Amino acid sequence: MRFGDFYAVHDISLTVAEGEYVTILGPSGCGKTTLIKLISGIWHPTEGRVLVDGNDVTDVPLEDRDIGYVFQNIALFPNLDNLENVEYGPRVRAQPLTDQQTTAEEYLTLVSMLDRAGMFPSELSGGEQQKVAIARALASGSKTLMLDEPLSALDARVRMELRYEIRRIVKELGITVLHVTHDQEEAMSVSDRIVLMRAGAIHDTGNPMEMYRDPQSIFAAFFIGETNLLEGYVSGYTKNGRTKVRLRTGYTVRGEKTAFALGDAVIISVRPENVYTADDGLRAKVVSVVFMGTYWRVRTLADTGDYVEYNVSDNHVPPAPGEPVMLVFNKRMTKIFGRPKEGLEGAISLE
Amino acid sequence: MPEIVLENLVKEYSGGIRASDELSLTIHDGEYLCLLGPTGAGKTTALRMICGLTAPDSGRVLFDGQDLAGIPISERRATMLSQSYALFPNMDVYHNVVFSPVIKRWSEEDTKQLARSMIDMVHMGKKVKNYPRELSGGQQQRTALARAMASDSKVLLLDEPLRALDARLRIELRKELKSMVKEMGLTSVHVTHDQDEAMEVADRIAIIRHGRIIQVGTPKEIFQNPATPFVANFLGRSNIFAGKFVGNDAGHSVIELRDGIRVKARPADLEPGQEAVVAVKVGSTVPELVGGVKDVQDSHLPDTLPDGYFTGNVERVLYEGSTITIETNVKGLGIVSAQRSSRRFEYYKPGSRVIVTWQPAKASVFPMPESGLAQEMRLD
Repeated sequence: MRFGDFYAVHDISLTVAEGEYVTILGPSGCGKTTLIKLISGIWHPTEGRVLVDGNDVTDVPLEDRDIGYVFQNIALFPNLDNLENVEYGPRVRAQPLTDQQTTAEEYLTLVSMLDRAGMFPSELSGGEQQKVAIARALASGSKTLMLDEPLSALDARVRMELRYEIRRIVKELGITVLHVTHDQEEAMSVSDRIVLMRAGAIHDTGNPMEMYRDPQSIFAAFFIGETNLLEGYVSGYTKNGRTKVRLRTGYTVRGEKTAFALGDAVIISVRPENVYTADDGLRAKVVSVVFMGTYWRVRTLADTGDYVEYNVSDNHVPPAPGEPVMLVFNKRMTKIFGRPKEGLEGAISLE
Repeated sequence: MPEIVLENLVKEYSGGIRASDELSLTIHDGEYLCLLGPTGAGKTTALRMICGLTAPDSGRVLFDGQDLAGIPISERRATMLSQSYALFPNMDVYHNVVFSPVIKRWSEEDTKQLARSMIDMVHMGKKVKNYPRELSGGQQQRTALARAMASDSKVLLLDEPLRALDARLRIELRKELKSMVKEMGLTSVHVTHDQDEAMEVADRIAIIRHGRIIQVGTPKEIFQNPATPFVANFLGRSNIFAGKFVGNDAGHSVIELRDGIRVKARPADLEPGQEAVVAVKVGSTVPELVGGVKDVQDSHLPDTLPDGYFTGNVERVLYEGSTITIETNVKGLGIVSAQRSSRRFEYYKPGSRVIVTWQPAKASVFPMPESGLAQEMRLD
């Protein structure tokens, strides 16, 4: 999709299986909304095709595509009550009157809003309105649902409840979902598959566990979940074939098996929950300790000049700021990437 | 820098909506306080009364003991970053940020230095020459934040300062925001509905609901010892059970839920037979596989976990990155959620039979709220 000289999305190929829940995740301006607008027919691509069940729908107008759509800004009809809002879809499909009401009631039940059928949108909270909007999108009988940041306008706590609910509903109905979000936690907890976008292109794709445990790029490791990134050089290999990486101070860590050659400049990525303290290890000094509920997040400055974070269970007493600690990394969970040409800063830039 | 005292603030809007209902709160000198609550709780109204944009119907606002009634906004030395911040459209990012230092005729060197540190903090170094219309919503919000911080105030009032930002950037920025504010020694009130954000930045959190402060404390105090069932579920998700208080035993209390299920919690000052509510954080709820090896998560503790309280079948296991959520269907109780390390992802399968337990010290007991449990637990 091109706007003047600017490609909002470029050379994107993506296949979504029937009944699959796919989230399109990425920072602001990565092209995720453009992509969903192309798929749903709101926009027409400059080049390329969109196929549904093998049929080319690129030139099929929006209203004939049979796709339900829910936006960030809840768009219910304010002058209709909730039941009438949900009846709208069946009505434009010219269902008989009694069926319209039955269908609408079914979908309101599904989103646990039947008891508020007679209320108007203005009498509902934001989360409740969004549930009605989802019922309305589904009541037209569409087998595909596009969710464009459906939870962004809601309170964090409501968002958390609703995301599980949305997944339950669409799975019950066996609907194919494309859900656009910038919130990696949301993407992790609802999707069968995550499509990570950056700068108008698909950067990485996989199920939530693959994306978290085995990211294929520094950006994916950084954007999905939290991670510590440290620069070093490949300094050797263990008997088991693990790659040894020498960090700036000469301290050597072991990581995954890789094809990197001796002396290659690399970045290691290790998540906070895979960093522990020990009697010997990478020397670091505690910078801050923050209570996070079931654990303490300890931020340290390592001798290498890198910030390294790790977790301490709330059943333990965490170290105090200023205290020295020795850190070791879980070698099975230490990923190694080639040092990017654009530098580490460039590789994780969100802009 | 001043200590801020709010005394019995009342503010009623037309239509009888009490945005502030006898609200009292003290914010210490140099403290970073988060005002956390759901939409419509009265968070923004409280901020507006502190900086003078809204006058309370009754009650007082004091800075260092001085009553601010009648003192205009311009003399309060309090800067508010509102949700509807407006940048100067005819100025680039740099000149928006240095607006206040320039008006106050700071030396060029001081101005530049301040601007640089503020612009760096909000990651806008590459956009200093851009005008507001060329910026995304998130970039505009970051510029407004930098401008508020550079205003030479003693009090910083932030109304959802990170709301327009992407989730990932929000996490990055909140760490830097806290350390910068502390470095400058400002007294700050930060309004948010995001409990993770509040936990990370706040010295203390004040939970606000229906125009009243219902609990004030450090993140740890509020998380571990919530004042009401609502707080228990708002700051960190909780499993909530209704039951009857049985009594206190050695170091714990016993509550009977439905079907004769008895669970343990912290000792509590309730009468035997009294209607009670038990709240236990999902992260402290442990489902152990029936017939599986004894769970080792808490093996380092002096006392091991109590034998399970009730059994159920795992319905869903959700992978969330560093954690998983296990949803167990328990007959008579419904869905009980547990959050555990994702290393255990392969350990639980839908249909697995589990027995649910928790450390009594991690469960709170409350008297049944008069308004009823459903009303009490409403999130919005």
